[in-house]
Amino acid sequence: MTIASQSSREAQTASPPAAAPAAPDRTPARRRTTLTRNRWGYAYVAPFFLVFGAFSLYPFVYTAWVSLHRTSLSNIDGGTWVGLENYRNLLTSEFFWNAARNTLTIGILATVPQLCLALGLAHLLNYKLRHRTFFRTVMLMPYATSIAAATLVFSQLFGRDYGLINTALEAVGLNRIDWEGGTWSSQVAIAVIVTWRWTGYNALIYLAAMQSIPGELYEAAEIDGASRWKQFLNVTIPSLRPTILFTVVVSTIGAVQLFGEPLLFAGNGTTSGGSSGQYQTLGLLMYQQGWSNFHIGQAATTAWAMFMIILVIVGLNAVIGRLRSRADR
Amino acid sequence: MATVTFDQATRIYPKAERPAVDALDLEIADGEFLVLVGPSGCGKSTSLRMLAGLEEVDAGSVLIGDRDVTDRPPKDRDIAMVFQNYALYPHMTVGENMGFALKLAGVDKAERARRVAEAAKILDLSEYLDRRPKALSGGQRQRVAMGRAIVRSPQVFLMDEPLSNLDAKLRVQTRTQIAALVKRLGTTTVYVTHDQVEAMTMGDRVAVLKDGVLQQCDTPGELYDRPANVFVAGFIGSPAMNLVTGQAVEGGVRVGGAVLPVPREQLARAAAGNGQVTVGFRPEAMHLVGPGQGLPVLVNVVEQLGSDAFLYTKLADEETDDVLHPSDVVVRTEPRSAAAAGQKLWLGVREGALHVFDASTQQRVD
Ligand SMILES: Nc1ncnc2c1ncn2[C@@H]1O[C@H](COP(=O)(O)OP(=O)(O)O)[C@@H](O)[C@H]1O
Ligand SMILES: [Mg+2]
Repeated sequence: MTIASQSSREAQTASPPAAAPAAPDRTPARRRTTLTRNRWGYAYVAPFFLVFGAFSLYPFVYTAWVSLHRTSLSNIDGGTWVGLENYRNLLTSEFFWNAARNTLTIGILATVPQLCLALGLAHLLNYKLRHRTFFRTVMLMPYATSIAAATLVFSQLFGRDYGLINTALEAVGLNRIDWEGGTWSSQVAIAVIVTWRWTGYNALIYLAAMQSIPGELYEAAEIDGASRWKQFLNVTIPSLRPTILFTVVVSTIGAVQLFGEPLLFAGNGTTSGGSSGQYQTLGLLMYQQGWSNFHIGQAATTAWAMFMIILVIVGLNAVIGRLRSRADR
Repeated sequence: MATVTFDQATRIYPKAERPAVDALDLEIADGEFLVLVGPSGCGKSTSLRMLAGLEEVDAGSVLIGDRDVTDRPPKDRDIAMVFQNYALYPHMTVGENMGFALKLAGVDKAERARRVAEAAKILDLSEYLDRRPKALSGGQRQRVAMGRAIVRSPQVFLMDEPLSNLDAKLRVQTRTQIAALVKRLGTTTVYVTHDQVEAMTMGDRVAVLKDGVLQQCDTPGELYDRPANVFVAGFIGSPAMNLVTGQAVEGGVRVGGAVLPVPREQLARAAAGNGQVTVGFRPEAMHLVGPGQGLPVLVNVVEQLGSDAFLYTKLADEETDDVLHPSDVVVRTEPRSAAAAGQKLWLGVREGALHVFDASTQQRVD
């Protein structure tokens, strides 16, 4: 601190003589002063940017570089330059489109019910319940559970021969379902695992936002004749709009990167996403390309494709949000 | 339009030691403008919220018209409320805010627009109908809150300190506008304020509350001229009534070195408790008398207001200039009166202007 304050005092005392003679073009002098004055500010934020550069920016750019080569994991710097060939291959690969489709459907199946459920749960938790803290803790527990443990339990539940769900289905006179084998059934099962893990987390975010809505608004709505449901629609939801947008973005990013759940759901560590790739996501495909087929250039290409998809979705969200708030004004 | 009745209505908040509102009895006539006034925390808002259905009634009942609404939800009571912070829906436009209740009630779009436009015209809000509340000034928001209440044409208006977020000048202006508007609509209104000037200027009748207990409910004139107890006497009027407690003696009450004359019979009843009597006299009920004739006081501060002047004085000893009592005696005099700080004066109380209270019960004695 002492050093910083000394140097800034020096900078202050030093600057006037420098600026005084060159009155007409004062801007460069002023810029120089602010730079000197801010030097310590930059020094304080530098560690963040160093870590960010080393662990985020560098891998990011390096992945882009790798994606332009034909190369394998063992010889990552020794590949041959192929330009955009990896990208051409990716876009003409049926595996890519299959994985993209699966990621989209599992994403919708997981995100939409998850956020709706979270809203409903938050609404219930917002009432003056007894043991409220207990319920809130319980909500966060799935989030704190490791994917491996959770998926293990769910694989048991969705098992074909001895699974609890099939046993229950049989008990009420329905047919067993080969959850893992079917396209829809396997995707629904994975979506259930994702929903189970993330609903509580989102509910707590909604709850925090709900608690900042003034109680008077609900009282005014009640006097205006709004039922509980109408209050939810006309007071709660509009007040939560920015929060909902935020959770949509975060869940969407999570959905595009979905990896652990489908990998562990397969039960045997394969990255093919089922016998016919019925639940292979983009994340699994990337892993398969790089670590099963040793085609790290192709994997880097898929990683970049995933990044572009996220960028487009987040961008769309921002545009929609901007348009809405402009319409609001 | 309807009458409103509080019948022994009581509210005890959970874990509270004493009721926030204690056996409130009030009958409000059809079309009347009733003001609930009292110091902060005396239970005004709670009373209003009991009438609105936002607060439970623990004992007694609340009636609107002939209907017992004690256990009815707010939406079945046909009331409209203006909140202290207005509670406008931030994501709705002014027009939508005002029309929301009608929309919920299933009024069709054209009719809704007509009634909103009508209310907006009355309140001078026509050009703001498409704005959101956050793009309005405090006074405009206040008017939107009023508009939201009047478009519904409810049986009763409830207003909880609707002017307390406005600056002083706007408050005075809006005060008269609200009073005039409500008179014109002829709707029964219960209005809460902590400001006794607001209460006196707006109300047909004013109910004074203290610690959850109704002290007196009367017209502003009666309240001013015949306060029922020491609390009301000191609360209503600005500057406040001078209240001094003294020993009952032959012919009157001893205050400082002088004796204020009180009729024998009245004095006997007032002194029945413990011999102590509280007397009250308003600043404007005093006049200057010759030395040695009335209450001797020492002028402390002179406040010139242009239209009048107020002398803030202390009771003084007859002979010496010693101050006998720390409390102020406020006197209204002609503007630019010759009185100056440090001067000794003698005051007389105008005939019949002395209020007499039993010091033990604090109640008025006539
Ligand atoms: N929700 C509540 N829970 C407990 N006590 C309350 C609540 N609201 C008000 N009170 C208490 O009840 C009394 C009356 O409050 P209120 O009616 O708001 O007073 P005011 O006359 O200022 O409007 C106060 O003592 C206050 O502390
Ligand atoms: Mg209040």
